[in-house]
Amino acid sequence: MSNLRTYLFASISLVGVVLLFAFQSAKPGRIEPYKQERLELDPDVSKWSVEDVLIQLGDQKPQHYIEKLDADSVRMGEELVYYGRLKDHSNKRVSKYFVCTDCHNQVLETDDPSDESPARVLDFSKKNKIPFLPGSTFYGMYNKRHWYNGDYAKKYGDLVKNTRDTLYNAIQLCATQCSQGREMDFWEIRCVMHYYKNIQLKVSDLKFSSEEYAQFSNLVTAGSDKAIGMIKGKYNEINDAHFGNSEIPKIPGYEPNVENGEYIYKAGCMHCHAPGRNITNFDLDMDLLSFKFLYAKKDKYNQFSISHITRYGTYAVSGRKQYMPQYTYENMSNEQMLDLMKFIETKAAE
Amino acid sequence: MIKRLSITLFVLTTWYGFGQDKVTEAFAGTRVINNHSNETLPKNTLEFIIGHKFGDIAGATGGVDNFFGFDNIADVRFAFEYGIIDNLDIGIGRSKGVGARTQMLDGYAKYSILQQKTSGMPISLTFVSSFAFSYVKQSHDSTALASYPTFWNRMIFTNQLLVTRKFGNRFTWQVNFGYNHRNYVKYDQINGVYFVGTSGRLRFTKNIALLAEYNYTFNRLPTENHQDPLSFGIEITTGGHIFALHFSNAKSLNENLFIPETTSNWGKGQWRFGFTFNRRFKL
Ligand code: HEC
Repeated sequence: MSNLRTYLFASISLVGVVLLFAFQSAKPGRIEPYKQERLELDPDVSKWSVEDVLIQLGDQKPQHYIEKLDADSVRMGEELVYYGRLKDHSNKRVSKYFVCTDCHNQVLETDDPSDESPARVLDFSKKNKIPFLPGSTFYGMYNKRHWYNGDYAKKYGDLVKNTRDTLYNAIQLCATQCSQGREMDFWEIRCVMHYYKNIQLKVSDLKFSSEEYAQFSNLVTAGSDKAIGMIKGKYNEINDAHFGNSEIPKIPGYEPNVENGEYIYKAGCMHCHAPGRNITNFDLDMDLLSFKFLYAKKDKYNQFSISHITRYGTYAVSGRKQYMPQYTYENMSNEQMLDLMKFIETKAAE
Repeated sequence: MIKRLSITLFVLTTWYGFGQDKVTEAFAGTRVINNHSNETLPKNTLEFIIGHKFGDIAGATGGVDNFFGFDNIADVRFAFEYGIIDNLDIGIGRSKGVGARTQMLDGYAKYSILQQKTSGMPISLTFVSSFAFSYVKQSHDSTALASYPTFWNRMIFTNQLLVTRKFGNRFTWQVNFGYNHRNYVKYDQINGVYFVGTSGRLRFTKNIALLAEYNYTFNRLPTENHQDPLSFGIEITTGGHIFALHFSNAKSLNENLFIPETTSNWGKGQWRFGFTFNRRFKL
């Protein structure tokens, strides 16, 4: 009995002593002055991001500026872009119809970011087996300054107003309109933004001649803001957009390129329409019946006619329908449309 | 990095791989006309099917008096089907039913065991198990079929294997065989019926095809007035919907009924117009 009491007393006092020390160890706080650290950058300018250069030289920061990349947010952003939700399924899918990668690539689509013309993009895509899609690539989206440009104002009206200079709003518009999904939460968009920052343009992505580059890196090292103008000439700050119409284009003297047409069919149309992709209810494959069908409908001006559907897409009911986005002239040229139609005609005649 | 690479590879292989490997679109939908096809719904997809069959076009009850059967509805069925995974579907349906078997609820599970490939696998093999159940009020007439002494008497089961092959891009041929069991039958019927059937689809264009479907039943009793169901149809797909218009001697829309219970005779004008219509939704 007395043994037990001794034990009890001993252990209680032990706990007391430990607690005493626990409180003792807390040190009084100290307020550190806030200081804006200079970016720690590699002496080799080619390893910098485009944004590093701009900020270093005192250009205006974009509204969506992210100072410090968070690796975990990048990972979550990437999962949202590829799968529409986190891989642990802790959030709801953004859209039951699409994921971002159905319409947007995640890699550079051109060997010269100042030239994102459809011809250049198709060339580069063929070499590197990159899908040929109606949405702009996410690679370098972080470096744009305006979104939903040109004719998108016609399609979405007032909806695009607040997306024009705010990437955050552009993502939200695409989630609800282009992908026919729900509104994304703030943290989700924030993760996509970190993901975008992670695939921002690097100086090494830009195409300089060797003299130009020598001049450029000297200007940067000297801190001269002349380098700002120089670097901004090496990529585009907007993805422009002009809509076409249903007419089959007529280009006198143009000899369509069947091989390009085949690439557009496989890496463009079939990116979503291939059987088993389950993105649309209208399958297209390399089967004779598909080609005969498309060829027979080419003059119809309805949703089965290539020139019509490619330029207009199909009508979307917000959040409730699968639909097809259109290819603007900036994403597919009239020459490429003729290439595609020639390929279909050739296959249909086989 | 490895992960991103594998994702890119995945995207590339799916995008380039299709059309080279799995043979797709053997049939447009999960049914040929009314019997099952080898096709299953993609994962997380819900399909809604409405089917109608009208009265006899010709013969004693047909003709202009009943406007070639349109005045009479032989059967109506609504069904929902769902793809749990790409290879496995389940479905439930409700139909009016035919003859003494009315107020039918049915359900099925379908598993795609093998899929035809462009090389290495010449056929698709599919297993379908289904049941139908009549919830009609119990009849007090103990000689009536609907007197159903126990709950289990109300059940009918059909299990079948489908062997399917698509030849080229226009023609698909399917053979099905299986066993149907009605737990409670009339005195001139037999509980267990073995059957073998065949179906075909011939595509004229990408969206128009001719369909045919037939089932032969082996051991129905000679005392019973029995016929084998034979149907012909035209299928039109619109990208989103499939319409199948058909003519058939069978009155009912579910295999648990039309395989063992068909009595109408093509030769006597007891054939009818029918249609099914379906729509897919993503969930
Ligand atoms: C069904 C196709 C589709 C899907 C899915 C889709 N987008 Fe888009 N998106 C487009 C199209 C088309 C445009 C307008 C053309 C363009 O990108 O420049 C666009 C534009 C954008 C823009 C503005 C680009 C610009 O330069 O103007 C952003 C940002 C964007 N999408 C983000 C996303 C995100 C994030 C997702 C996934 C949650 C997504 N999109 C899913 C088709 C799609």
